[in-house]
Amino acid sequence: MRPTIKNKLVGGFSGVLLLMGIVAAIGVWSVLSLRRSALETARVGDRLNAISLEIQVHNLEAQRLATRYMLEVKKMGAQKAREQYLDEADFEVHEIESLAARAALIAPSKEKQDSFQRITESANEYAQALDAAAKAAESDSSGAAATAYEGTAERLHEAAEDGEMAGREASQSSQAAIERTSKRSVPLVVGVSLLGLLLALAACIILARAILIPVEHLREVAEKVSLGDLNISVRRYSNDEIGDLADSFSRMVTAVKFFRSEAQSAEDEQAAMPEVRR
Amino acid sequence: MSVYDKVLVISKQYLGPAAEKFIQRQCKHIKTEPTMLTATHLEQLAWSSKNAAGLYMDESKAAELAQKIMSLK
Repeated sequence: MRPTIKNKLVGGFSGVLLLMGIVAAIGVWSVLSLRRSALETARVGDRLNAISLEIQVHNLEAQRLATRYMLEVKKMGAQKAREQYLDEADFEVHEIESLAARAALIAPSKEKQDSFQRITESANEYAQALDAAAKAAESDSSGAAATAYEGTAERLHEAAEDGEMAGREASQSSQAAIERTSKRSVPLVVGVSLLGLLLALAACIILARAILIPVEHLREVAEKVSLGDLNISVRRYSNDEIGDLADSFSRMVTAVKFFRSEAQSAEDEQAAMPEVRR
Repeated sequence: MSVYDKVLVISKQYLGPAAEKFIQRQCKHIKTEPTMLTATHLEQLAWSSKNAAGLYMDESKAAELAQKIMSLK
């Protein structure tokens, strides 16, 4: 395809548009990915916080039910007390285990994963100690089992508190991460926009020079010819319409030089003729 | 198309409206009539055109014109 002015302009501006499109796409992609990352961080932090609070509620409920069972087992009878309190407490402990396992899966750091892992282990120990303490309470030999139960209940409580703290920290650190992300996005967007601007500016300068330099040369040549100076050289800068114009101009100047020289010769001949006659 | 017409077409690219008069002048130099121009005259015509055209245009363009006239051979 011939590099005509039209093709240069179409190609140049299409290139600039394409470039701007690419830059805009990079900018949009960057902002969207930053936003996605911030939302994901916030979602994980909030979820961990909610789970840790839920664990604490289940823990308190389990221990309340276990205490009620210990107090009521003699009055109500083992069967009824188990149905009313112990089965419910077991359910609460099971909930604690499954919530802690889920939290360990989504926890963002090893430290927080360990925190929730400890809750699972403590809940497991608590369940066993509760079972032993319940059996001991039913058979009136609750001494050692009750002490073991108290110990595991204390550990589960501590682990749940640690989990609650880990959840709170995750929520706070997610807010800090969002702030960091939003701060990082500002120079990124500004940088990408500046890059696009510089590239578009460079493309416009190249395009303008490709057209303006040959036009300026032709203007200078035309100016000289109009003042009677035919000793000029017309350069063909490009293989486009301006190049064709330069060729036409060159042909015209050559023809003018030739005809002027012819006219001069004829004038000289005419001037010589009377002398011959004389 | 006669040799003269072919030479004229080439010359018009360099001399425009002056081409006809220019070629007639070169034919006169090589002592032939434009209508009598044949391939045997082309070498002489190219040489003469190169020298004469050099007075009105760049040497490189004049040489290019001579080269094109020679290529008709």
